[in-house]
Amino acid sequence: MSVIDDLASEFARLPGIGRKTAYRLTHHLLKVAPEEACRLARAIDAMAERVRRCSICHNLSESDPCEYCSNPARDRTTICVVEEASDIRAIDSSGGFRGLYHVLGGCLSPLDGIGPDELNVESLQSRLDENVREVIVATNPSVEGEATAAYLHKILDPRGIRVTRLARGLPVGGDLEYADGVTIAQALAGRRVI
Amino acid sequence: MFLQRLSLQNFRNFRDEKVEFPEQGAALVGDNGQGKTNLLEAVYYLEIFRSFRGARDEQLIRFGDGHFRVAGVLEGAGGAERVEVAAGYSRDGRCKKVTLDGHEPARVAEGIGRVGAIVFTASDVEIVAGGPGARRRFLDIILSLVEPGYLSALQRYRQILAQRNGLLRNGASLPELAAWNTGLVETGSEICRARARWVAERQASFARYCQRISGGQPTDLKYSPSVPAPSESQGHSAAGGDEWRQAFREEIGRQSERERRRGVTLVGPHRDDLNFRLGDDSDAVGLRSFGSAGQQRTAAVALRMVEAESLRAARGWRPIIMLDDVFAELDPPRAERVVGLLGAEEWGQVLVTSPKPSEFGAMGDSLPKYRVVNGRVRRL
Ligand SMILES: Nc1ncnc2c1ncn2[C@@H]1O[C@H](COP(=O)(O)OP(=O)(O)O)[C@@H](O)[C@H]1O
Ligand SMILES: [Mg+2]
Ligand SMILES: [Zn+2]
Repeated sequence: MSVIDDLASEFARLPGIGRKTAYRLTHHLLKVAPEEACRLARAIDAMAERVRRCSICHNLSESDPCEYCSNPARDRTTICVVEEASDIRAIDSSGGFRGLYHVLGGCLSPLDGIGPDELNVESLQSRLDENVREVIVATNPSVEGEATAAYLHKILDPRGIRVTRLARGLPVGGDLEYADGVTIAQALAGRRVI
Repeated sequence: MFLQRLSLQNFRNFRDEKVEFPEQGAALVGDNGQGKTNLLEAVYYLEIFRSFRGARDEQLIRFGDGHFRVAGVLEGAGGAERVEVAAGYSRDGRCKKVTLDGHEPARVAEGIGRVGAIVFTASDVEIVAGGPGARRRFLDIILSLVEPGYLSALQRYRQILAQRNGLLRNGASLPELAAWNTGLVETGSEICRARARWVAERQASFARYCQRISGGQPTDLKYSPSVPAPSESQGHSAAGGDEWRQAFREEIGRQSERERRRGVTLVGPHRDDLNFRLGDDSDAVGLRSFGSAGQQRTAAVALRMVEAESLRAARGWRPIIMLDDVFAELDPPRAERVVGLLGAEEWGQVLVTSPKPSEFGAMGDSLPKYRVVNGRVRRL
């Protein structure tokens, strides 16, 4: 295999990129100035080198704890639980939430062999000290996301924590990641106890 | 609304065929294996975007081709409204595309029911005489068409059921099982309530159709839910969502030990049935086991009639009635009474098929005839 094929097959492993697009991207990089291709390589390199999982909330960040966990201005009484680290950006930029986050790493899906042990549930429970009053479950409105919310309610409610769910209005089956800021802010404001 | 024009590309044995139909309808004649049922299958595909014969989309593509497209132009009375419903499927990418007047709805489900059509087929008797799966499928199709929210509840229910069964198979923890119960009860109750209400609303009319077709015996249609129906005393049509949810939750509680032992979900609308009972209340017998072939066929036709009635009520226009080779199966007096019923009521366009023109009886005389030969359709 040539280095061209090598790069194309790396691109093809990315989500949403097929073989054809992979070669198009590769040939694009061959056409631009070499500095430009190197800049991309360095950005990828730096990201892989420096970005880590936050040991508290499992967010992806250059610092551990991450910028949310280490920010004294954040409201420490509320934790918003999301499926993926990429959901945090969507929620935070909506401006409707100033608390802390917790990344589950997916949602319950017995058919895929994903139970509570495969998710960051235990570390969530260990974060619930006397400061935390509310957990907002912002998993997607899919049946798996709803079941995950119901599960968290089942295990957290006996501990006297208020467990809430975003209001409806998010596109059903759609990902939180792609919802717009206004919709997310409204869903946050209208959250209800499960 | 009536189907004014139908175009078929690479659908079953049609290569590239365009047919126009008048408002009253058409009688399609042709030997076996020429494409009569395929044509009705294409029309109904525009109603639910699935084959009424249960074929996969892939199987509808003409042998050797990569995709099919079906388009129908529907016209309201006097050419008032016109809508084009089209659907296609391509083998690579396994991609289904639906358009309404050229615009793609956000989800395929939003496009269903625009045609307003019912198909009567000779194999409908399986709904009455076969296993409960066919009866649930019947309920699911009509309710998806007439009950807002039903289809989405059904899709979610099926997904939850599959997940919950996966969990039970591998030994579930109680809180995890409880997490799936919430959604199961939520969506399942919606399905039960819609089914109960539909049957209660259509019961009397079903009995009336049976009587008019058979010329005799009363036949009763009854919903037999897997979740014990709440407030039996007032008839379960009266039960609301809360009552069904509570009944469902209680039954899951009662069955939970057995479910965990057996590793499968034992309660819910996926185990519902419809009962057809013949005779008076005290000594009624089940039509499925004890009915004659003629009685079972009568019930099947009556069921399609109430389906048509329900669709007409929901849409506010007369549905297209398609009859695929049904007269050969009915004895002549019954066939005549069915034709009489179809003529007496306010139905829309009629598309009827048979290998023998003589079998159309009185109906055939009033409809223009079309001949179907090897995937070509020609007006006679
Ligand atoms: N995917 C397909 N491609 C081409 N021909 C098909 C396809 N599926 C079925 N057929 C053909 O269609 C014919 C059956 O048509 P059908 O409409 O059921 O006949 P009938 O006129 O008796 O109702 C058969 O000859 C069969 O080979
Ligand atoms: Mg046929
Ligand atoms: Zn963090």
